[in-house]
Order: sequence, then C-alpha cells, then structure tokens
Amino acid sequence: MFVSNSMVRKVITINKDSSIFEAHEKMTANKIRHLPVVDAKNKLIGIVTDRDIRSAMPFSLLRGGANDEENAKKAEEKVKIAGLTVKDIMTPDPITISPMYTIQDALLMIQREKVGAFPVVDSDGTLTGILSVRDLLRAFVNVLGINEPGTLVGILVEEKIGQLKKIVDAITEEHISFGSVLVARHWEPNKRAVFTYLLTNNVMRVKKKLKALGYTLLDPMDWYLDQLPKSDSK
Amino acid sequence: MKKTGYLHDMRYLLHDTGPYHPEMPERLIAIHNGIKDGGLLEHLTIIPAARAELKWIETIHDKGYIRRFEEICLSGHSIFEDQDNGICMESYETAFLAVGGILDTIDMMMEGKIDNAFCAVRPPGHHAEVNKAMGFCYFNNVAIAARYLQMKWGIKRVGIIDFDVHHGNGTQHIFEGDPTVFYYSIHEHPSFAYPGTGREFETGAMEGKGFTKNSPVLPGQGDDIYKMLITNDLLPSFEQFEPEIVIVSSGFDAHEDDEMADINVTTECFSWIMETIMQLGEKYAKGRVISVLEGGYCIPRLPELAKNHVSILMSA
Repeated sequence: MFVSNSMVRKVITINKDSSIFEAHEKMTANKIRHLPVVDAKNKLIGIVTDRDIRSAMPFSLLRGGANDEENAKKAEEKVKIAGLTVKDIMTPDPITISPMYTIQDALLMIQREKVGAFPVVDSDGTLTGILSVRDLLRAFVNVLGINEPGTLVGILVEEKIGQLKKIVDAITEEHISFGSVLVARHWEPNKRAVFTYLLTNNVMRVKKKLKALGYTLLDPMDWYLDQLPKSDSK
Repeated sequence: MKKTGYLHDMRYLLHDTGPYHPEMPERLIAIHNGIKDGGLLEHLTIIPAARAELKWIETIHDKGYIRRFEEICLSGHSIFEDQDNGICMESYETAFLAVGGILDTIDMMMEGKIDNAFCAVRPPGHHAEVNKAMGFCYFNNVAIAARYLQMKWGIKRVGIIDFDVHHGNGTQHIFEGDPTVFYYSIHEHPSFAYPGTGREFETGAMEGKGFTKNSPVLPGQGDDIYKMLITNDLLPSFEQFEPEIVIVSSGFDAHEDDEMADINVTTECFSWIMETIMQLGEKYAKGRVISVLEGGYCIPRLPELAKNHVSILMSA
C-alpha cells in the first residue's frame, strides 16, 4: 500500500501572494485545513494551515465591537491583516513525502512529526497530491475491511509458529472470506490474540470448529470489563 | 382475548439453504410445534401463504435484482451473491410466498378481521438491500409491508422495531431518508457482529434524520442492558413519532443459548420485550402490531419462545 493509492490528487492550492482572507475562504468552502502553497510551475514552496490563519486573524475581529471607538480600532486592524499574504504566515519548506512512501511510513511520520497532512511531491519538487490524517483513516478502515458486512471472531493462540495457518485453513475450509486478520502480540503471557474479521453472518459452525481444534475464543467482555469503568447508566 | 392471526404454511419449508446452514426449515417446525403444543392453535386465525404481486416487491427492490434472483434459482445454483445466501430452485417462489402472506395478513388486520398477527415466514428479510441479498435475506419483507401499508391503506407513520440480534441494515438503508417510517433496532454491537452497521451515530439521513435509532449492545450483555436501552431509546422515540402501525422484525437469536451471536437475553426477557412492544402498540397504534420472523437459530429454544411470543400477542 503506497501513498499514491490513498492520497488526494486534485489538490486545492494557493498562491503565496494571495491574501489570508482568500486562504481562509478556500479552506472553509472546501472543508479542508491544509493549503499547499505553490509557484507558477506547481512547485511546492510552503503550506498554510487553518491554525496559521487563526493565529493571524483573531476571532474577535470577526465580531462587531461594543462601540464606535472599538469598531474603528477593529477596522484599522482588519486593514493591517488584509495586507497580510499567505507568504507571511505559511510554513516554508514543509515536511513532504513521496508518492512511493508506504502508508506505514506515513502513519509513523504523522505520529512523529505531529502534523495533520503531508504534501506529496515527486523527485523534482512538483506537488502531486496531499495525504491527510483523514485519508490515512480511510485507508485504515479499508484495511480493516469494516466497510463490508462481517463478524469479528477473536481467537487466543500460543505464541508459536504455524498457529495462524491452522486458523486460516479452518476458516477457509468453511468457504468464508476474510475482511482482515489482526494479530495482537503479548495478549497474555506467551499468548497472542488473533482477530479475524469474517465476511459472513454464519459463524456458528466455524466457531465450533475452532473450539474443537483446541482454540479459546476470546470473549470480548473479558477485556471490556477490564478496561472500562463500571457504569450502569448510559 | 385479542384476535391474533398466524401466518403459517408448510411451503415456507421449501426454501433449502443447503447443508449445515443455520437458517434451516426446522426452525419453522420448532416454532409451529411450540404454538401447537402450547394449545394456542385453536384460538388463532391461521392464514395461509399467498404469492405476492410483483409490483409490491418492486416498491422496494430493483427490477434487475429481482430478475437476477429468479434466474439464479431456476438455473439450479446453490448460492446467490454471497456464500451466506444458500438457495434452491424453490427459493424465489418461497420468497414471494413470504411477502404475499404478510400482505394478506395486513389486509386482514386493516379489514378488522384480526387485531394483530405473527408471520412465521422464511426466508427472513431485514438484511436484504434494494439490490442485494445479504445474510440469508432476499426480499425485505418488513420494508415491503411498510410501503404496502402506506400505499394501499393510507397509513402515514409506520414504526418498525427490530429485536433480531443482528442489525437490519436493509430496512435501515431503505428508510433512512424517509421521515414516515421510524426504524428502531437493538442488536449486538456492529464491531463484533454481522453486518457491521447499526452504530449509535446512524440516525437517518436528510429528511429522515432522527427517524432511525440504533441501540448497539456489547457482547456478553443481556436482560438488564436490553431493558434499559429499550426503555431509554425506544419508548421516547415512539412517543414522539406516534406510529399508526407497529411492525416487528422478530429475531430470537439474542437468546443466551443461541450460538449465532454473543448476547445473553433470557426467555423471560424476550417476553418482556414483546409485552413492552404491545403496550406501545396499544398506546399509539390501536393495538395494530404485526410481527414478522427474522432470525433465531437455537432449535431447542424456539418452541417456547414462539409460544410466549404468540401468547403475548393474544393477550395484549
């Protein structure tokens, strides 16, 4: 899974000499939070975020003042801000990624850099896309398979080679397709938890079969009760 | 005592889902035996199946989908669209008989010949989408019934209550933009159970916003949570909506002994649920409650569950 599969290709960009009001409008109209700043050749030169704009344009300015004096002051300040352009508030040379990065790279980088989106640029610096947390989430939902109808079956297995194969074989013999298989390590000492998302309503037989093979099926309530505070009210 | 209709027909056994399939004909035999051995038969108005007119099925399902279903049955295939959906040559006709029987039952109720009814049909319907068979379901019986009530009998507000352990994705999607049909479902949480929809934040779309309500229940939970959620979620919703008719998608697979899911509702609590639904029916819908069978796969428990269910309809 590569960034190029999950990124948004039709990137909404802005020019460095545009006013910050224009940038603000573009974000609001398109419900986005990041605007890559590009030059005439679509080369990336910076990025401006909704946070940059908010810091430059105090919310109080958008409201009317209490009296004439205050309004006059606000008008004056607005003129000053109106003079601000994207290049004044943008982050120049932002962290970028290449379309050939994997989704895993992007996940780890977003965690490390604490940013909300990466502009995607090719080797000569041309902007080819943008990948935001939202796009990563979509990719993750896709990987989990939870857009399709299915049933989650959790299985406790010994930490040794070949366990997953047995499980996959047993499920495949029932002609059931997999939405996803997740393995959680160190579930219990020397045990792993395997979460299979099965694209079927009919899990009765496969559950029996797994039990007959000696596996313990995970009761989700066991860890639910451990992790959540007890509460009787909704 | 109420005049209760009982849609019952041996032809519903003809839909053969194949070996080891939980949605098996024996379910209906168990249900019938429970009603018979409970001495209820003589007090019930038995309604035979009838073939639905195609036009009513077309109020919900795509023509192309209906034709695909017909062709695949007649061609002798054993699966339709998904491994879950086992079929045989008779499945298409049986699905028509399920819908037709329910529509006849509605007519009898609206003509005053019966007060309420239990429709023991196969195949079930609540997973069926406009153009897709899912989770053992082909035609959305309950959705067609709701439209029929509106189009033929001029009913404005239909309330659907679905207590099958699985979320009725089909019914929800068909009516999610429609403020004239309220869909309420209580089911095992979609992160664990089929079909993966029916989350709390799914509350309808566009004009239908606020006319869908879901109560997902975490695995291992049972009576207490069911009673609490029905009281807190369903009762106020129906108080506001005031349905003129209540249709119930009755699935018995939330039972503690049913292995299809991980919910532990007791036999007694199923009675509580149905009694609560009947009170809603009396309060808003002149007692007009029509219960349609969905799931429920624990054959040894079905007789008593069905007997209790029908007794409650009769004594409402």
